[in-house]
Amino acid sequence: MRPLAIAALALPLLAQHGRYLSDSQHPSIGNPQAVAAGSKLFMGSCAGCHGPDGGGGARGPNLVRRSLWHPLSDDAIFNVIRKGVPSAGMPPTQLPDDQTWNLVAFLHALTGPASTNPVPGDAAAGKAIYSGAKAGCANCHAIRGQGGHLGPDLSNIGGSRPLAVIREAIVEPAKDLYYLGNEAATVTLKNGKTLKGVAKNRSNYSLQFVDTAGRLHLIAMNDVRELALSSTTPMPTDYVKRLTRDELRDLLAYLAAQDIRK
Amino acid sequence: MKLLALTLSLAAFAQVQHEQIAKGAAEDWLTYAGNYAGWRYSPLNQITSANAKNLAAKWVYHVPGARGLKSSPIVYQGVLYVTNTNSIYAIDGRSGRLIWQYADPRSKSNSVDRGAAIWGDRVYFTTSDNYLVALNRHTGALIFNRKFADIELGTTSASAPLIAKGKVIVGSSGGDSGMRGFVMALSADTGETLWKTYTVPAKGEKGAETWGDLIDYGGGAAWLSGTFDPASNTLYWTTGNPWPDYNGDVRKGDNLYTCSLIALDLNTGKMKWYFQFTPHDTHDWDAQSWPVLLDTEIDGKPRKAVLHANRNGFFYALDRETGEFLRATQLIDKVTWAKGIDAKGRPIELPNAQPTPQGNWVCPSVKGATNWMGQSYNPGTGLLYVLTLEQCGMYFKSSQEPVPMKNFSGGGATEEGGQVILRALDPKTGKRTWEYPMTGVGRMWTGTVSTAGGVLFTGDDDGHFVALDAKSGRNLWHFNLGETLTASPVVYSIDGKQYVAIPSATAVFAFGLFERAVGVEPPVIRMR
Repeated sequence: MRPLAIAALALPLLAQHGRYLSDSQHPSIGNPQAVAAGSKLFMGSCAGCHGPDGGGGARGPNLVRRSLWHPLSDDAIFNVIRKGVPSAGMPPTQLPDDQTWNLVAFLHALTGPASTNPVPGDAAAGKAIYSGAKAGCANCHAIRGQGGHLGPDLSNIGGSRPLAVIREAIVEPAKDLYYLGNEAATVTLKNGKTLKGVAKNRSNYSLQFVDTAGRLHLIAMNDVRELALSSTTPMPTDYVKRLTRDELRDLLAYLAAQDIRK
Repeated sequence: MKLLALTLSLAAFAQVQHEQIAKGAAEDWLTYAGNYAGWRYSPLNQITSANAKNLAAKWVYHVPGARGLKSSPIVYQGVLYVTNTNSIYAIDGRSGRLIWQYADPRSKSNSVDRGAAIWGDRVYFTTSDNYLVALNRHTGALIFNRKFADIELGTTSASAPLIAKGKVIVGSSGGDSGMRGFVMALSADTGETLWKTYTVPAKGEKGAETWGDLIDYGGGAAWLSGTFDPASNTLYWTTGNPWPDYNGDVRKGDNLYTCSLIALDLNTGKMKWYFQFTPHDTHDWDAQSWPVLLDTEIDGKPRKAVLHANRNGFFYALDRETGEFLRATQLIDKVTWAKGIDAKGRPIELPNAQPTPQGNWVCPSVKGATNWMGQSYNPGTGLLYVLTLEQCGMYFKSSQEPVPMKNFSGGGATEEGGQVILRALDPKTGKRTWEYPMTGVGRMWTGTVSTAGGVLFTGDDDGHFVALDAKSGRNLWHFNLGETLTASPVVYSIDGKQYVAIPSATAVFAFGLFERAVGVEPPVIRMR
């Protein structure tokens, strides 16, 4: 992604207090001017290590996905920026308080849903990529009833995930986070029947299975002879090569716009 | 994986059709009351009055964040669809394992939800801020969510949609704070509005003369699913109280069509007839308790009847083709506001029963002689099972200026003591055949279901799930669910095994006949 385009994120990042954790009363949080100022600081000082969209770089961790699991409070983010993480090579900063808070405001907004942020790219072109043969997203994922049923429904993907998380799910789908509960599998039943599809919910006693036609099967484990599970994601892992940079950007713009609230 | 790149086709799936819903509950439970006539009856007979003593718990599913579930599950091909506020859960009916869930991320209101509906390959529910949500029944994937009414006008949505011949029928909640009630038909394909019928006339329309200046906020909410007669294409829907609830001075007249049963044409929404149980109500006695459709003899004459146990203390039989009043009998023992119902169906009111600034002691209480909890009609016993409440209370009137949509109800009411009694009524005579008194504090809202096995399932006022002999009311079995019950049970069958499931306040429980456990041998699991 182009840093300049991402800088445009800054403009209207509307108030997203408490999207994942609500503990700061600082006035910069959710303030568009503070977010814009924070974005500039981020591009200048942070993007080199953490990536232009906060999605992680060669030296710094992903700031966005992390927040889904162990969200840092705004005050804790402030302290990390101020003091750095010397053991990991992140230097302390000398920024005054108000600028540090601007940076916190930007990070707070960045971890909010993609649909609430302006994203670069052409969503209409992205829709064509989504549905087209080259990316083939719609073969497995549905948006408002259009598309396949093996992969997670994406009708609200922009309304529920930060942009960097969506991007990572496309370019690195093999990370375990994205296919737990969606194990590609072949089931052979004791009655000889074989089913291919996705194991949605598997226990030692029962299995919920969506076959390649999108049909749900409720199976007792006592009826299963063999369960063959894929050790990797059913999603193609070559989108970085398969799509051009611009196509990926447009696809992300389309996905970011998918929000049930709109 | 190559197999995942296959082009998918959904055309060959089992689709829920009108005929399946119309034939009533069997293995599946496809509409709110089990069948369109509102019977909450199952023809399954594996569990009988003889073997119900062997009932055992099969599974429990704890609904995340639930407090007071009011949902009556829909069951199709072994999957239960249970709603909570702005959310729906698909649960494996054999194991209780969650298959998928959908939580609406958008709604800004969080009132109760009474259940889902199913049609084709989709399940439907409404959000409390009046969106119809359609989901793929296999995966929970969103098909559409479409707004049908404006919450800014004081209406919310709580009832389970009723689907009749591809039309999704929804209604309005919110009648206690000043709004205009309605029933609507939406397209099951797209969610678009097909018709909308208000339960209170507009100024100048017929019936408006029964109101004063507040007619625009008259209430008449339609917050409970109704019933449907496919033969005549008629919907039977009940309407709630006029607003403000307890102060009738500002709305002199009968306040049509509140506290009524209305018969609507499915295709057009046109009102065929109405019957008002409680003209000019001042006790918040909504008519919500669903209309039971039954062809039977009423006082010796064969009739196409609609039966209605009303909150005002009386049990009615009407002709469902014309709305003609046929008979009313007293539903509970203590009724102090009316000494009976006259030959035309109008209550013969007694003095000193209206709310006053000092308060008047009136029976039944504001909760009513019965309420929306599900009744059951069993064709095997010929009995209608109704949960009744013997309770009285003080009714107060406020002379404050009514302000719509500000939770102003024109007064208040108390509920004091009280006892829940399950009563088996004979539709032919309106009289009681047996009754099952319960201990407790008069707080339960659970309904009933009865079966061809001669078993009647219900909750009791102490938080037990109980099985009774449908003929005699004799207790057969009980199980402590440990909390106040507010939802109704359903019966279904998977792989030849009969289950009965009931949501408690926070969880869904399923029961079936005891079976010895079979150890589960793990299958061969290969990674590749």
